[in-house]
Amino acid sequence: MKWNLIFAAILVVFSFSSCIEILDDLTLNNDGSGTFKYSINLSSSKVKVNSVLALDSLDGKKVPTIDEISAKIKAVVNDLKESNGISNVQMESNYTDFIFKLQFDFTSLKRLQEAILAIVKSETKNSNIKEIESRWLTFEDGKLVRSIPQITVEKANQFKKEDADLLKAGSYTSITRFEREIESFENPEAKQAKNNKAMMLRTNAYSLTQNPSILDNTIYLVKEE
Amino acid sequence: MKINFIFTFLIFNAIVFGQNSENLVPKDAASVFSINNISLFQKISLDELVKYEFMEEVQQELFDGSTSGKTLKETGFDFDQKFNVFYGNSDDYEVSGFTFGISDKKMLFEVFDDFQSMESEYPGVEFYISYFNRIAIKGNVGILYRVTPNDRYVNDITDSVWYANGNEYPWSDDYNYYDEGSDIWLENEAESMDPEFFEEMEIEENTSNPIEIEDEELPAAGADPTEKTYYEFRDSVELTLQLQFLKKVNDELFIEGKSLITEDIRFAAQVKKSSEGTFYIDNSRTIRKGYDIRYMSLHYPSLYNDLYEIYKDNVILGELALTDHSIEMRMDANYGDKLGSIYEKLTDTKFDKNFFKYVHAENSAFFTYRVNLRAAYEQAYKVIVPILEREAENTKDIAYSLLMLEIMDEFLNKDAIFDTYKGGMFATYNGIKKVKTTKVIFDYDDETFEYTEQTADAEEDMPIFTTGFATDRSDIASKLLSRFCKIAPNWTKHDAYIEIENGMLNAAPLYLIVNDGIFIITNDEELAINNPKGFGANSLGKATQKKAVKSGVAYSYIDLGKAIESLPKSLFSDRENQLIDVTRGKTGTLEFTSSGTSKNKTTFNLIYNFEGEYDSSGTYVLDLINSLYVIAK
Repeated sequence: MKWNLIFAAILVVFSFSSCIEILDDLTLNNDGSGTFKYSINLSSSKVKVNSVLALDSLDGKKVPTIDEISAKIKAVVNDLKESNGISNVQMESNYTDFIFKLQFDFTSLKRLQEAILAIVKSETKNSNIKEIESRWLTFEDGKLVRSIPQITVEKANQFKKEDADLLKAGSYTSITRFEREIESFENPEAKQAKNNKAMMLRTNAYSLTQNPSILDNTIYLVKEE
Repeated sequence: MKINFIFTFLIFNAIVFGQNSENLVPKDAASVFSINNISLFQKISLDELVKYEFMEEVQQELFDGSTSGKTLKETGFDFDQKFNVFYGNSDDYEVSGFTFGISDKKMLFEVFDDFQSMESEYPGVEFYISYFNRIAIKGNVGILYRVTPNDRYVNDITDSVWYANGNEYPWSDDYNYYDEGSDIWLENEAESMDPEFFEEMEIEENTSNPIEIEDEELPAAGADPTEKTYYEFRDSVELTLQLQFLKKVNDELFIEGKSLITEDIRFAAQVKKSSEGTFYIDNSRTIRKGYDIRYMSLHYPSLYNDLYEIYKDNVILGELALTDHSIEMRMDANYGDKLGSIYEKLTDTKFDKNFFKYVHAENSAFFTYRVNLRAAYEQAYKVIVPILEREAENTKDIAYSLLMLEIMDEFLNKDAIFDTYKGGMFATYNGIKKVKTTKVIFDYDDETFEYTEQTADAEEDMPIFTTGFATDRSDIASKLLSRFCKIAPNWTKHDAYIEIENGMLNAAPLYLIVNDGIFIITNDEELAINNPKGFGANSLGKATQKKAVKSGVAYSYIDLGKAIESLPKSLFSDRENQLIDVTRGKTGTLEFTSSGTSKNKTTFNLIYNFEGEYDSSGTYVLDLINSLYVIAK
């Protein structure tokens, strides 16, 4: 193994305490249409990410190059652009700080979930993930029921126990915004914005593996006049 | 009369039953690891033993529960005899296994309980069989071995007969693995690495759960269902070849009396040594396994023979010695005259003492070598060009390669090249330090939860390395670096060093220093900013310096407690991990030295000094042997 690879290898272990920040931001209009934003922020782990990228393989699996990652992202964006009910797809990739931001509009939550499901199915090669078909977002009569897609939980559960520190260090933030004010909500961990039109839930991947329903929430909106 | 009878009886016993375990090592073995004092291993459990790679060929036998909770003491092995692990790979087949003395045959077969007795065609030799493994016992000595035809050989014969019989291309186009893109292949590869995937496979250990394969998936020889499929036919060829090669190995051992000890006096001499362990690795044979070498043997046979001649006599002979707090490995790398002449020139240079200034006394690991690239190049040119000239007479592409080589030799400025990079270098690992980086954070507004991106200071752990190369042309390096500083915006020239902003993994600075005839690359701020002329009184200790200077071509020193534990297992392949495992979980120092290089030999020494008490010295020796086995295989 070359010196630079040994260097990279050592780095990875000592960077395990660094973290990944995930943010999903859902804006829901009264008619059920809206905007979905999904950001992954690896900037506090950029030494680790760079060192992993310097390796050929990690844990027996091939490490993709930046070109391969870029091509994969482009393919996902193209798939989204061709999805029914999805528009204004925008992707920002920052390979210096390793921040990736995806944003698109949807005509309904059904279309949003279908589009995401299609991407997940394509990326997992239709592997048998439980409840892949289930809905994790419903909006009816001013009531939004939001849960975490099962695939997120299953993927988080695939982490080894020894990686618990890594999972604890990362954060997952879920924001939901509305045109109307919020009347009430069920998850006591959720935080309401001062303008009463947005909810935020924050946790880390470790807590999510311990309690898959930690980000579930049912939000009741003030009735339309 | 009575005395004469006893004497005759003893002589008779010595002849008939006095076989030593090393006498049964097949002559095809290219690497042999002999453990002399196996009483050291009495405490080692068999479950622990079978985890080593050198036991992998037979491990399915030992994993079947018959060994559970037992130690080597309970195997019936004779601890007064050597235990010899061997591996060999000829052009046509592989042979692997181990030989051992037997003190209690009943106990032996309580462990190897899957082996069934079989008829023997060899007088005085008992045979036992289990799947592909055999045990042969002659007197009080046994050999557990496996002979496996090489896949390439099996495929060649199978394909040849298959097509000669008028069969069609055996691989269905429906599979199309490679046409669907590399992702599919990689996914299949990843799947095959999943342990659960293996559990589903039918293997020797899992015959109770065979996997049913639909017939239509197998390419059939013809419409007649009684005919063999390609795979069935290949299995038949493989089995036939295996029996043929097995007979060859048995005939040599038990009829012709040929074994490695009778065929190679170097092995015979080495295995006689009384140290705890000895090893023999015939590189001239193991080197033939490489794909490039085989390709060369097919396409350029005379060139192959000429180059192979260079590798003639390339044998590594070594021994392990155990003391209260150290294991010492001495290794003689032997080679023939031609290769020796290159090595001799390669090492014909003095050690650059200026290196020591830039190595901190508290470093975790230090490595250096001194070579004379110019002299080695000239000598290699002298040895290799005549060989290429002979081949170029008949082979156009070799003539082309030779032409390019000669053009470069004539027109390149060798003085500038070899004076700039002389060949000597050093590298140090100085542990982990915090380095300052930046990160982006999302700053949320409590009113709306809208967010903005803010840059914040951060710290990340960074291993600190320094590498230096000896140069006689500091002026060339300095000139080039100065120009780069004008061109590249993130390069800054300071008085004593050059800083490349974010040069280290795009996150931390990298520093370049040209001083004392050394070109240094480091990410150590302590060296570049505070001590660009060297660490002075804090540089490498005099005692270590002396050892490094005294050592021949190379010297290295590793503080295991500080350095090795920081190497993460997940980032290395199984093979690399097996090499590193010898030092994992242990404290102490590892020191590697070498002697001067002569025309036929270079001697290397590896001394592992460990601290405190150790539970089982045998484990240390086995770890080391396993690493050597992995390297040699």
